Amino acid sequence: MGQIVSSFTGIFSKLWGIDREIRILILGLDGAGKTTILYRLQMGEVVKTKPTIGFNVETLKYKNLTLNIWDLGGQTSIRPYWRCYYANTAAVIFVVDSTDKDRIETAAKELHLMLREEELLDSALLVFANKQDQPGAMTAAEVSQALSLTDLKDRSWSIVASSAIKGEGLSEGLDWLMDVIKEEQL
Amino acid sequence: MSSALEARLRKLFKAPRKGESFELRTGLVSQYAYERKDAIQRVIAAMTVGKDVSALFPDVLKNIATHDIEQKKLVYLYLMNYAKTNPELCILAVNTFVQDTEDPNPLVRALAIRTMGCIRVDKMVDYMDIPLKRTLKDDNPYVRKTGAICVAKLFDLNPEMCVEQGFLQALQDLVADPNPMVVANAVSALAEIQESDPSTQCFQITSKVLKKLLLALNECTEWGRVTILSALSEYESVDQAEAHHIIERVVPQLQHVNTAVVLAGIKTVISHIEKLSSTEYEMYLKKLSSPLVALMSTSPEAQYVGIRNIRVILEKYPQLLSRELRVFYVKYSDPLYLKLEKLEIMVRLANDKNAPLLLSELKEYAMEVDADLVKRAVSAIAQVAIKLPDHAMKAVELLNFLVNQRGDYVVAEAVKVFRDLLRRYKTTEYVDAIVPVVSANWESLDDAEATAAYIWILGEYPQKFTRLDRHLQKLAEGFLEETSVVQLATLNAIVKTNLRAPTANSGNYLQSILNCATSDVENADVRDKAYLYWRLLSSDSGLAAKVLLNTELPPIPSTIALFTPALLAELVSELGTLASVYHKPSYTFTSLIAKAKILRADNIEEIERLAKREIVANAKSENLLDFGDDEEIAAPVASSLDELSDVFGSSSQAPLANSDILGLFGSSGVDSGMNSQAADI
Repeated sequence: MGQIVSSFTGIFSKLWGIDREIRILILGLDGAGKTTILYRLQMGEVVKTKPTIGFNVETLKYKNLTLNIWDLGGQTSIRPYWRCYYANTAAVIFVVDSTDKDRIETAAKELHLMLREEELLDSALLVFANKQDQPGAMTAAEVSQALSLTDLKDRSWSIVASSAIKGEGLSEGLDWLMDVIKEEQL
Repeated sequence: MSSALEARLRKLFKAPRKGESFELRTGLVSQYAYERKDAIQRVIAAMTVGKDVSALFPDVLKNIATHDIEQKKLVYLYLMNYAKTNPELCILAVNTFVQDTEDPNPLVRALAIRTMGCIRVDKMVDYMDIPLKRTLKDDNPYVRKTGAICVAKLFDLNPEMCVEQGFLQALQDLVADPNPMVVANAVSALAEIQESDPSTQCFQITSKVLKKLLLALNECTEWGRVTILSALSEYESVDQAEAHHIIERVVPQLQHVNTAVVLAGIKTVISHIEKLSSTEYEMYLKKLSSPLVALMSTSPEAQYVGIRNIRVILEKYPQLLSRELRVFYVKYSDPLYLKLEKLEIMVRLANDKNAPLLLSELKEYAMEVDADLVKRAVSAIAQVAIKLPDHAMKAVELLNFLVNQRGDYVVAEAVKVFRDLLRRYKTTEYVDAIVPVVSANWESLDDAEATAAYIWILGEYPQKFTRLDRHLQKLAEGFLEETSVVQLATLNAIVKTNLRAPTANSGNYLQSILNCATSDVENADVRDKAYLYWRLLSSDSGLAAKVLLNTELPPIPSTIALFTPALLAELVSELGTLASVYHKPSYTFTSLIAKAKILRADNIEEIERLAKREIVANAKSENLLDFGDDEEIAAPVASSLDELSDVFGSSSQAPLANSDILGLFGSSGVDSGMNSQAADI
């Protein structure tokens, strides 16, 4: 009996989209600040992080939506496994270390490689030009140029200058992402 | 936007994918938490019934980060099972493992470190040091004890790292832990490490450690006790006082319900008891008998294990259970293996006091229906008779009674033991009691050994056989059909009969048997023996009589099998293990596997070396025919060597040649095989 009830509640919640979790990936090169952003969003504070070998995943409620945010490790050895996580992804948050001019090209390459994946064709893209608090950081426009974001067709994307340490730009970015997701996917 | 729509349409019209694996995969990446959990449960269910669900590895792995401990356990279980199939992907779990070892819940912390240890993948080892260090210093004893075992697992994978990171030291510190469970696990981990690599010297019991172990002994779990007791048994006590102290603390363990604890306790007591003064020695030795008796009130399987151990203990201390014969009486419901083992103990316990009881009990068993038990009972009666001269006559009467009561196999078994009895007791009283029975029943013997025994008796006491000629005639006629054992016995008997009690025809039979044995028998021993007798008899019959008849056979004091002293010492030190059940020292069946591994590795190197040499030689000899100059010689040699290393190196290069070489590893004809192999290359 209990099982029947629970399967009914399952069907109903599916119908109305209750309990549905929206999957968001946070990707980017190692040391870009992905884990810091994740925990800043979830707990609202800066945690001390170590390089992520594997992934972190946290669930948070944001504007009546349940977000399931996956923060994947950015080390070269782990990047090939990003593809395992692409299925059912609503949006990708790509984090760039704005001070790391040497590796911005690598970041661009990884970004475009990833966006070519079939499973991510429908996902929205939000780029955080992170570490704006640091001296010598590129502006959002410069980062956008370096990543050649304007080449992207058929995809909702946006770039936001951010500082995870100070908490700037994160909610703006997320707000935009929520609007896009609501409009396109719900 | 239009192409986004297109993409969506494409997705919609894509052929629907089906199948259990697809269903599970969709479940695992579902957007609904309850669907994911359900899918994991189904994956584990499929795994436990033996379906291969390793393809779902990355998808299951995604669910590892969860606060639902039930789900976490399931995912961990899956990981342990399939980590080997996806060693690279395991790295994705590292972050979660490390986080889980910091979880507020001690169960999660322990679970994480245990699973990390069970994932035997090299990549995982690199990330294990920090969490493991943390767990070894955890506040919670459950986590520490799990960590202790993990050190032993890590040592197996990467001993150097274990030493460098100071894990062995940390483990040694855990022996002084306030919690007995932690102490037990640390001891067990250290003992295992010490065994796998004695050069680490990581487990030395000092007086301080000893005190800790004795304290922990009373408080830890039963398996912890077994570990600590085994460690104590390997410790050599420095003086009488210390030995006494250890034994005093161990003796209460002998009352434990778990038989493993009891056996380990007995082992410990035995290893220290020699150091005691003689009065204490007697006192503590007596204390061993009641726990041994208690072993006999368990399930048949446990009884069997106990009884195999008792046999070892009895051989070291024969007087130990002398009053406890009744405990080993065979019960109607016992399985056969236990019955036979009980008889082994009973004959060892036989003494002058209990002999009448024992014999009547054995008589009961000999009247049973089960042939194996009956045979064993008959030989047990003889073993008792040979052991106790005062009761031998009773036993012989009993055997005669049995021969008359029961037919066929009892007679065969009885004749076998009669031979042994006659070698022990040579007086006419016994000869008169035994030989007529054999003489009357010889025709029903069909077993080769029994026949040989009967023939031996015939050769020793021909005068006691009525109608001797018929016996001899039968022997001569059937000679060629018999097995070599019987043939050898017949040769002896016929020669002796002719010397002892020649009859009218015995000379003829002798001649025909000798003829037969020297001309028609294939067995070399039989032929040679026949020739020897023939020469001996033809040279001087007086000499033959002197040689054959006047030499006394050495008497046999006992027919109860004993261990060699070296084996006994080995088995006593391994009481309560598989070794004492097998009655073989543990190295005979454990190190073989390790040895085989090393051997195979050696083999590969050896073959590689041989192959290289062969190719160099071949290339050189080819070039000798060319009469080319030296520089040209080097090139083909080098290229064929390259090809060879391809063959050994990667399988993709030359799969066929590679499989050929693999096939060679099993065969011993390396050299000849290698020739053809080199030709192939």
